This record gives sequence, structure tokens and C-alpha cells, in this order.
Amino acid sequence: MRTPRSHSVLRYLAIVLAGLVMATPLLFMVSGSLKSAAEINAFPPPLLPETPIWQNFVEAWNYLTPRVILNTFVFSLGIVGLQLVLSLPAAFALAKIPFKWAAAVVATLVVPLFIPGNLTLIPLFVVTFQLGWLNTYAGLIIPMAAQCAFAILMFREFFAGLPVGLIEAARIDGASWGRVLTAIGLPLAKPALATFCSISFLTAWNMYIWPQVIAPNPANRVINVALAPLAGGENSMISPSVGLAGAVIAMLPVLIVFIVFQKWYLKGIVGTGLE
Amino acid sequence: MSTPALDTQPLRQDEEKRTPDRSYGYRRGRRVDALTAAAFLTPGMLAFALFVILPAVGGLVLTFFQWDLFGAPRWVGLDNIIRLFGDAEMWQALGVTALFVLMGVLPTILIGFVLAVLVNTKLPGIAAIRVFYFAPMIASAAVSSLIWVNLYSTNGLVNQALSWIGVNGPNWLSDLTWARPALVIMMIWGGLPLVIILYLAGLQRVPDDIYAAASLDGASKWRQVWSMTWPNVWGTTVLIAVLQAVSFVSGSFEIALIMTDGGPLGSTQSIALYSYKVAFGQRDIGYASALSLFQLVLMIAIVVLVRGIVRFRKERS
Repeated sequence: MRTPRSHSVLRYLAIVLAGLVMATPLLFMVSGSLKSAAEINAFPPPLLPETPIWQNFVEAWNYLTPRVILNTFVFSLGIVGLQLVLSLPAAFALAKIPFKWAAAVVATLVVPLFIPGNLTLIPLFVVTFQLGWLNTYAGLIIPMAAQCAFAILMFREFFAGLPVGLIEAARIDGASWGRVLTAIGLPLAKPALATFCSISFLTAWNMYIWPQVIAPNPANRVINVALAPLAGGENSMISPSVGLAGAVIAMLPVLIVFIVFQKWYLKGIVGTGLE
Repeated sequence: MSTPALDTQPLRQDEEKRTPDRSYGYRRGRRVDALTAAAFLTPGMLAFALFVILPAVGGLVLTFFQWDLFGAPRWVGLDNIIRLFGDAEMWQALGVTALFVLMGVLPTILIGFVLAVLVNTKLPGIAAIRVFYFAPMIASAAVSSLIWVNLYSTNGLVNQALSWIGVNGPNWLSDLTWARPALVIMMIWGGLPLVIILYLAGLQRVPDDIYAAASLDGASKWRQVWSMTWPNVWGTTVLIAVLQAVSFVSGSFEIALIMTDGGPLGSTQSIALYSYKVAFGQRDIGYASALSLFQLVLMIAIVVLVRGIVRFRKERS
């Protein structure tokens, strides 16, 4: 009969093994990004490069250009920031300021949550195109930031949980609603903010199709738009290992945000799934 | 901006239940509230109206027009919708979409469930190891495409692994038979983290004491998982089935666009990708909108179907 101890050792082994299988593609990405051109095409492929070729990262950086990296940060942080501006006051009003149509507004906000983004891609492109925002930061950021129903509902739920007495006390002391939001609501909302900002940043950074259709110009390209042609084999001038180095660069910021914010990020993911 | 203390007084009464208090202070308080609420809501609601409501309605309206983005749209009535049914490429894309769902959803659910049960433990270091399980979720479509293009190449890791067991692997992404399963495997890999996370949350709610009795009865661990744990997370499974079905219908299109461009011979071109190509390749906005609308109908049908199955199971048990 197995002892509980040997049982947990076996389980441990299974967990690590399955985890390695799950992570194999990503580990391959890291190892491949440091391989020489000969090693990446060799059969059988070596598990690790003999000497890591850091030059791949220099070449990937030169291919991507600092402009593309900057664009991606402007795009992602722009979406996060603008969504906060659009959603926080709206959510607070819906949760705490008594007015007639709050319930109707919430009901309207819920509907689009069930429509996948790519179904409205074409008309959204048409609207943005008609505004003359093709190949502009405005066209990249504003239409995506406007998809903020989820943010409003999430923050509303959080604000609704704040004790009524706290807010009333401030109102009786003569604080305006704006002041109640900034001085009481926001400091207490730190966990909700961490959840929202990490999810929003990761989603924005990883977007491909919207920046591809709205800003294909080299000057406005984001990192995923720049990398995608390398995966389609359209650019045979670039070695696959340089492409993988580019992939590592693209994944670093999201990996850091994910590891730092893991607790809040996962909480948010579970919350949206359970709605 | 500050509000006199007086104004807030009747507001509290209002919280309790609409008291028919129509004093001056009450009305002014209400007006300040309504104006502030309006000011707080306006930016968000404007953005929402312009970039969510307008496109949703617009997508519907565009279905009835022929338009190339630049000229004047021409009213064509139901032509675009009728055209759907006689379009061989649409039927092929519909078949591809159905195959994506049929091949992908069930394995994702089963593998995800087993992995979630596996990592649902408090062994030391488990939090760090779980990062490996969650990491595929944060790889973008372009990043995972770059990785898998290499894994699937004729000399790639996948064929290397196959050669160990004596199988000569195909050139996955340009093979008429294997391009589709290749993309499905990749999508399963990308979809597993979310499934594991949702199951882990579901498993937290399964009471521990149900296992105690089973252990006494001598049921093996594996049996306990399928006869006790699995039925207890049924609600989570239904949710995951819907999410995964939707993601295999619509999410497949970014990686197919990047990796195979729908090929070879349309074998990886889903409805979503076809609609994208009609819109941005052929600039036939009306017909592309009709395809999108058709896809929406399809998704609603899936959700209704899943709910129907769930209700059917409930009635029988």
C-alpha cells in the first residue's frame, strides 16, 4: 500500500511534468530565441543553444524599432488610462448617487458584454474610418477604450459594496460628489483598480486585429502587428530565431505585469467567468 | 464644489423609501444629485453610444446595403442575406467553424478539468508551478503563432517528438488534412489556462466531507474524481462549454489569419475569417456584415443549445 508521503511525491512529479508540457512552447520560445540560424533549422533540434546568441535580440530590436515599442506602450497605457477616466465616475454615479435611470443604464451596459468583439469589428472600423482616424493614435485608442461596459459594471459592483454611512458622513460634512469619489472611493478601490488595470493592460497589449486594421502604417504599428508577418513566413529575410527573440520582447511586459498582479488578475478573470 | 449640509438631510430619508417630502432642500438635493450623476455618466455613455451602440446597430443596417467604404451605399434589401445560402465558400467556412468547435471544446474541458484537479493542492511551491499552467494565456495571437509555426515546421519539435515513436510527421500547416488539427491543438493549449482557473474556482466550492465517506468505502482516487468531483462542478463545466464554444467560433480567426491565411484551400477559414477577408480584402462591407450577423445567430444557437442540454439533463436526473 502506498504511504501518503509517497503519494504526494508522485502527485508532485505529475504536477511538474504536466506543467512542463504546458510550458514547453514558451520554453522553446526562450531557448529558440538564443539559437544560431543553423541550430534553429537543425534536425533533430537541440534542446538548448550551444552558445546563446544575444545578437538575435539586437536584430529583433532593430527590426521592431523603438517606435513600435513606444507605440505599444502609448496604445496600452492609453486604453487603460482612458477607460479609468470613462468608467470610474460613471460607475460611482451608478452605485452611489441616487437618480432615476440608474437601473436602465445598467441594463443597457450589460447587453454588449455578450457580443464577441470581432462581430462588431467591421462597423466599428467603419465608424472610426468615417471619423478620419485611420493611422492615428486616436483611432487606435479611443474606440477600444470605449468598450468599457465591463469596467463600469465591475467598479459599480465594488462601489456598491462600500458602506453607505461612510459616504453620507462625507456628504453631511459638505463634500461634493466629486470629492467623495476621489477622497473616499478611489483610495478604497485599490484592489479593484489592481484587478482592472492588469486585465485591461494585458488585453490591450496583446490586441492584434484592431491595430492591424486601423493602424497598419509603420509609424503607428504596435508590436503584435509588426511581429505577425514573421509568423506567416512572408519575411524570409528574418531568421526564425530573431522572430522568437521578438516574441520574447513582446511577452516580457505582460509577463511582468502578470506575475506582479497575479492575485488580482486571477480574481478578476474568475469574476468575469462567473457572471 | 461643495453642497450645503442641509441638502443631504432629506437624501437619507430617500434611501429608506421615497418619502413624499417635497421641501425646497429636498428638491435641490435631488437636482444636484441628478446633475452630478449626469456629469459623471456623460463621458462614458457618449463613448458607449458612439463606439458600442452605433456599431451594433450599424452592423445590422449595413447588411441591407452594398458598399465599398468609399462610394455611396446602395440599398439592396435582403440580397446579401440571400447570397449567404448560395455561397459555397460560406458553407465551407461554416463547416470549418463547426469542426473547430467539435474538435476543440471537449478536449479542452476534459484536459482542463484533470489538470485543475491535479494542481488543486496545497503542496509547497504550488503557486510558482501554477504560473507555468497559466502562462499560455498571456501569449498574444502573434506571439503564439510565432512559436507554433516553428514547432510545426517540418524539422520542428512536434515532428521530432513524433519521430521518437516512429511516425513521420507531416508539414502541418500546409497539409490539407493536418492544418486544421494543428490549429485546434494550438487553440486548446491557449484555452486551457482559463479553463483551469475557472475549474480551480469551482473546486473551492466543493465540500471536502463528501470524499471522507468515499474513502471509507474504498473508492479509488480516480473514481472519486469522476463520480464525486465532476458532478459537483457541473455548473462550472456548462459555463466553460459556452465560453469555449464561443472562443473556438470567433477566436480561431486571428491565429488562422496570421499562420495559414485560411489555407490550404480554405481548410482553416472559419466564418469569422471569411467575413474579415470579405470586408478588408474585397471591401464588400454589406456582405461581410451579413456574414457577421450569421455568425451571431450561430452563437446564440449554441448558447440556446447548451442551455437546452443542461435543462434536459436536469429533468432526467
